[in-house]
Amino acid sequence: MGTTLSAGTRAVAKPARRRNYARQYWPFIVPAGVVVFAVILFPWLFTLFMSVHDWHIGGDRTFIGLHNYGRMLADERFGWAVLRTLYFTALSVVLPMVLGVAAAVVFHRNFPGRGLARTLFIMPMMATPVAIALVWTMMFHPQLGVLNYLLTSMGLPPSAWVYESGTVIPTLVMVETWQWTPLVMLIVLGGLASLPTDPYEAAVLDGANLWQIFRHVTLPLVWPFIMVAAVIRGIDALKAFDTIFVISNGGPGTASETLNILLYLQAFSFYDMGYASAIVVVFFILILLVTMLLLHFRQRDALS
Amino acid sequence: MAQVSVRKVVKAYDGDVQAVRGIDLEIADHEFVVLVGPSGCGKSTTLRMIAGLEEISAGEIWIGGDIVNDMPPRDRDIAMVFQNYALYPHMSVFDNMAFGLKLRKLPKLDIKTRVDEAARILDIVPLLERKPKALSGGQRQRVAMGRAIVRNPKVFLFDEPLSNLDAKLRVQMRTEIKKVHQTVRTTTVYVTHDQVEAMTLADRVVVMNHGRIEQVGPPQELYHHPKTRFVAGFIGSPAMNFFSARVVGPSGAPAVQLADGQVLPIPPARQDRYAAQRDREVVFGLRPEHLTEPREQGRSSIAPLRITVDVVEPMGMETLVHFFLGGEAVCARVDPQTPAAPNAPLTLAADMNHMHLIEPSSGNVL
Repeated sequence: MGTTLSAGTRAVAKPARRRNYARQYWPFIVPAGVVVFAVILFPWLFTLFMSVHDWHIGGDRTFIGLHNYGRMLADERFGWAVLRTLYFTALSVVLPMVLGVAAAVVFHRNFPGRGLARTLFIMPMMATPVAIALVWTMMFHPQLGVLNYLLTSMGLPPSAWVYESGTVIPTLVMVETWQWTPLVMLIVLGGLASLPTDPYEAAVLDGANLWQIFRHVTLPLVWPFIMVAAVIRGIDALKAFDTIFVISNGGPGTASETLNILLYLQAFSFYDMGYASAIVVVFFILILLVTMLLLHFRQRDALS
Repeated sequence: MAQVSVRKVVKAYDGDVQAVRGIDLEIADHEFVVLVGPSGCGKSTTLRMIAGLEEISAGEIWIGGDIVNDMPPRDRDIAMVFQNYALYPHMSVFDNMAFGLKLRKLPKLDIKTRVDEAARILDIVPLLERKPKALSGGQRQRVAMGRAIVRNPKVFLFDEPLSNLDAKLRVQMRTEIKKVHQTVRTTTVYVTHDQVEAMTLADRVVVMNHGRIEQVGPPQELYHHPKTRFVAGFIGSPAMNFFSARVVGPSGAPAVQLADGQVLPIPPARQDRYAAQRDREVVFGLRPEHLTEPREQGRSSIAPLRITVDVVEPMGMETLVHFFLGGEAVCARVDPQTPAAPNAPLTLAADMNHMHLIEPSSGNVL
């Protein structure tokens, strides 16, 4: 009887004590709350605030409603920047994905010197973007660059690389691919390592050749990892700035002016903070849409 | 359908570790052969060498008249059922079973007919559209078998297919496998560590130990006439009892003297066979089922054995009585009515017609 009674009181007392604790815990989340507000929430709200104002740095601030957004619709330069951003993003997602998956399949096999080769392969990822951008800039130089030297020494015509509007974006994609293929490779390699081995043996006995095993077993099984890599790569490519800024600075002319470059120019060259903020808001929505699209594919595959 | 020949096959890892130490095995067309043995005895390695998943270090493997040593697995025309099912997780049951046929570019209608037929045999027709993760262990194993059946291969290989199932399902699937083999009659090599599976399924059982074949034979032969102490102890559950003993007595009436001094007379039918063992140390083997409650005391082959009971395990249809004799643990299967109680004396009847004598040094049954 005594034990049941004490058990009963304990059961009653417990939730009360928990509630008390909950009341005492709140100071612990204050630091995190302050940080989130200061570096995420406040800049966001301030950007929204700026985007509905005509505000040049050093000048007066006037409320103009959605005028900045309307201006974007009429701004041909903005439209091209959107298209260029999508073009750049599509290329710099697809190329690292294809090469990264291929590299992952290669590195998943055991061969002599695999560890060393893998380390060398992921080195571009570890380099500072601005530093490597400067190195690439030197290599792209039409007369002095090593790339044209290589092309001409093989009997091929030299390329203008980033100095011609037709080749500038593919060339920038090349740098992006060089730097970020290793990331895709690492993610997919991790996926491959986690796959069960026995479906492969079953496939071998079922009569599949290497390509059929890759196509019908490896690819479907590793697909969720590929999609994760695609989401990360997609977001990264959309917001690519440093390499473009350093190598071509949006040029020649506006041939490589992506949204990031455009809004940088608006904000820090033309000091038009209001318009730049409005571009940021639209850009954010664009990133959100692309990400949601990729996540939707991933979700759908996971469910089916 | 084909016969399989394994000739002097060796599997060595890193030069000196030998998983399989030169085995010879002839498997006839339509035969169901079970490789059984403890973990690490080389049974799975042997199976995987037949499948082509492991390279053969030495010797030859023939399937249906072709030497397959250097033939890739996909050209061997074999199908294998794995312990972990090895289904393709992203494919439906239908596609899992159809995959091998699609790769062989069979007409669609043909594939459907074959898959439906196999699904009917295995009773998985309602599951055809499901993914493996929506199936229970038993259902997955059926799909894995279906995938093997639709291929209509020369040989079926089973690698511990029931080990991941619970005890009840294992018994049920065992029957299913036997039924499937009776229907399709494909030559089958089946690996298990479970001697009950081996006994119930096999036309012939191959007992392996330490990379060698201990004995090959039909289940009853292995049970009644084991050639080595290992086979005697491995086949049968509970395992055969072994006693340190000595053959004593005059030539007309030899007997086995146990470590505690009790003497069990050797029946006349066996006296000639054991004549040479007189005055020698032997291992006396007797199965628990031949060590029972006292009965038919008058028969010459029945010898009384006085013991002190240690543990009593009622199993329902029988009771297991455990005791020690000369320091060795012994088990007897007695009638549930037998008044056996811990620490109480009991006289058991040893059926000496089923005795075995084993040479201690070689482990060979005499």
